[in-house]
Amino acid sequence: MSVASTWTPKGNYRDMWVYCEQNHGKFVTCSLEMLGEARRLMDKYNVDYKADEKVVAVVFGHKVDGLVQEAFEHGADVVYACDHPALENFILEPQTKLLAAAARGKDHYKSYDEPRYFLFPATNNGRDISATAMAALESGLASDCNVLYISDEPIKHPVKTRRNEVIEEIVYPRILHMKRPDFSGFEWSTILCIDDPDKDFHPQSCSVIPGSFKPLERAAGRKGVRVNVAFNLGEKDQRVKIVKRERLPIEVDLTKREVIVAIGRGIGSNPTQGIKLGVELAQALGADVGISRGVVTAKYPVDASVQQYTKEIRQIGETGQMVKPKVYIALGISGAIQHKKGMDKSKTIITVNSEPSAPIKEFSDVYIHGDLFEVVPKLKEAIQRALGGKNGGKV
Amino acid sequence: MHSMNTVVLVKGVPDFREGKVSFKEDNTLNRGATPTVLNPNDRLALAAALELKVKHGGSVRLVSMGPPNYKTILREAMEVCGDEAYLLSDRMMGGADTLATAETIAAGIRKIGLPDLVIAGFKSADGETGQTGPQTAWVLDFPIITHVVSLEVDEKARLVRARRTAGDDIEEIEAPLPCFIVTDPGFTAVFRSATNRLRLLRLGEETVARASKIDSVFKMWGVADLGVDPKKIGLKGSPTIVNKVEPIPVAAKERTAQVVDAKDAGQLDEVARRIVQLVRG
Ligand SMILES: Cc1cc2nc3c(=O)[nH]c(=O)nc-3n(C[C@H](O)[C@H](O)[C@H](O)COP(=O)(O)OP(=O)(O)OC[C@H]3O[C@@H](n4cnc5c(N)ncnc54)[C@H](O)[C@@H]3O)c2cc1C
Ligand SMILES: Nc1ncnc2c1ncn2[C@@H]1O[C@H](COP(=O)(O)O)[C@@H](O)[C@H]1O
Repeated sequence: MSVASTWTPKGNYRDMWVYCEQNHGKFVTCSLEMLGEARRLMDKYNVDYKADEKVVAVVFGHKVDGLVQEAFEHGADVVYACDHPALENFILEPQTKLLAAAARGKDHYKSYDEPRYFLFPATNNGRDISATAMAALESGLASDCNVLYISDEPIKHPVKTRRNEVIEEIVYPRILHMKRPDFSGFEWSTILCIDDPDKDFHPQSCSVIPGSFKPLERAAGRKGVRVNVAFNLGEKDQRVKIVKRERLPIEVDLTKREVIVAIGRGIGSNPTQGIKLGVELAQALGADVGISRGVVTAKYPVDASVQQYTKEIRQIGETGQMVKPKVYIALGISGAIQHKKGMDKSKTIITVNSEPSAPIKEFSDVYIHGDLFEVVPKLKEAIQRALGGKNGGKV
Repeated sequence: MHSMNTVVLVKGVPDFREGKVSFKEDNTLNRGATPTVLNPNDRLALAAALELKVKHGGSVRLVSMGPPNYKTILREAMEVCGDEAYLLSDRMMGGADTLATAETIAAGIRKIGLPDLVIAGFKSADGETGQTGPQTAWVLDFPIITHVVSLEVDEKARLVRARRTAGDDIEEIEAPLPCFIVTDPGFTAVFRSATNRLRLLRLGEETVARASKIDSVFKMWGVADLGVDPKKIGLKGSPTIVNKVEPIPVAAKERTAQVVDAKDAGQLDEVARRIVQLVRG
């Protein structure tokens, strides 16, 4: 067996950059979670590779001094800051141009070509700018990851490692492994961003599911290097204008609910009836109704009377609403990771599932094993009894 | 003026509807046994294009990158809206990640001729990356508005006015044509006048009829037709690879569930009392 050769990139790359999204002058929680994970990854990286590479935060907005300091205190060694009134609200095009210019440019801190790694929050804005920034930098991007690690990786790939018609094994050093749960929530794909003979692909980057990582404990007074990014954009970089911004009247707000009944694909054999049962249970408890993404994508042909309960606005989870009620009752929901993210902070989780141990059992307080079509009517009656009288008793 | 040219990007995805989707024992998708259908979110992109066609006339061209059998996807899309359909299909395009897809689609759009508007769906039901739209806009150098819930075009001023969701806020946006739009799952078309509702009806019938004879308005282009750099497309042009697929281990136990047998009425009563106590407490 021949010894695998090791890949050497053509360019000079360093550091892990983190796009720290802010909204109305506050970091979104994922920004601090990513800084924490970046700190842990780079501390280990620096030991493993006897290196001295940094965690670099990117903070764009208006009046960002407080945020810059907060980034240092949450693990950033360096902050690229751009402070300008035009950045008060997020607009994709100018932010992407500033970001790409900073990532490519040279300055008093940075002499390397481009960041080695780049993390973005998997929020609406974070997802958008991850996509456009990586298009601008012509590099690869994995979306919605929740596990990251860095190691050397031997790769045999029909295209990337083909030399003279032979597929060789080549060791790619310092590869960021980005694990992404798939649409079932039960399988991980590990995505890698790797160079090929024609081109280096850096930064290796991904968006990170909010709630995947823990922020560091805040280290008050921790200092770092601030690099000011000049706001040197013209009219042609600011084609999209916000004319007005106002509070959205939220149609269904589950985030402030104390009791939620959530319905999943377990209703599949009779969706209309399943939803009715869930709604009745919710009504008995003065609760509101949420759904898993499974119900959204299933596109059940349900009666008009319950259609409103199949709409995406009721979705709970990573890409839906994040709820933390006192009581969360999950009917026919398997507990996919993306659903879990949106409800596992509930105080008490009660589950009804026909499988003896669906994954959701591991984060349920009460696991009622049974068919929801039989259990829910009984449970509703028992609750009405406990409330005192069939219709009486107030919650 | 009636001169709006729109391109809509559509994609085929596994049919996740109940009764259609087939999962294997380990909960992973059985692709072979699951039919391919039009990506549900792309219906909203098509609805936006239809609304503009009702109000402004002009043409709507559908573009998809995928295997030759995606013609059926284009046909499905055309039943909602579409005058012509373009399938970008070539072995060399296979295995593309989002950036390589964006490069290919942008090349297809350039060959058709740059339109006034390109509209994409939010996310595909299988990939769910939401990256392809913004990346295609970037390659085309079009201004982009994402999460659009409603849309208006001012032909005279050559402006798009859109409402988009931004977290808990709603924004009113203005951008020049040509422009790239990504529709939000909450997109809704609005038809106030009776004239427009009649036009909607007529255009709806027309497009369904056209879809049934798609051949006369269908083109399939390969790499040679597009003249796109082979280094930028397909598996070769994709910066990312999927290195490994593995089951996610069951999450570490976070809570110890009290297991209740649903057949035991006494136990159910106890759970009910506990729920009521928690809700009141
Ligand atoms: C990028 C991305 C983001 C995502 N975001 C979200 C998100 O925000 N929220 C979300 O929920 N999902 C999200 N998903 C989808 C997620 O991976 C799962 O596919 C989804 O949560 C599954 O929904 P479910 O539990 O209802 O369905 P399933 O996984 O099909 O589970 C159905 C459950 O019902 C049980 N059951 C069946 N019949 C009965 C019966 N008669 N009585 C009782 N129980 C029964 C089964 O045992 C099973 O446990 C996302 C996926 C991706 C790729
Ligand atoms: N192969 C493709 N052909 C045409 N349009 C696509 C393709 N892939 C993605 N799109 C468009 O990009 C949107 C987002 O897809 P995705 O990035 O896969 O989540 C889809 O809703 C489509 O409008």
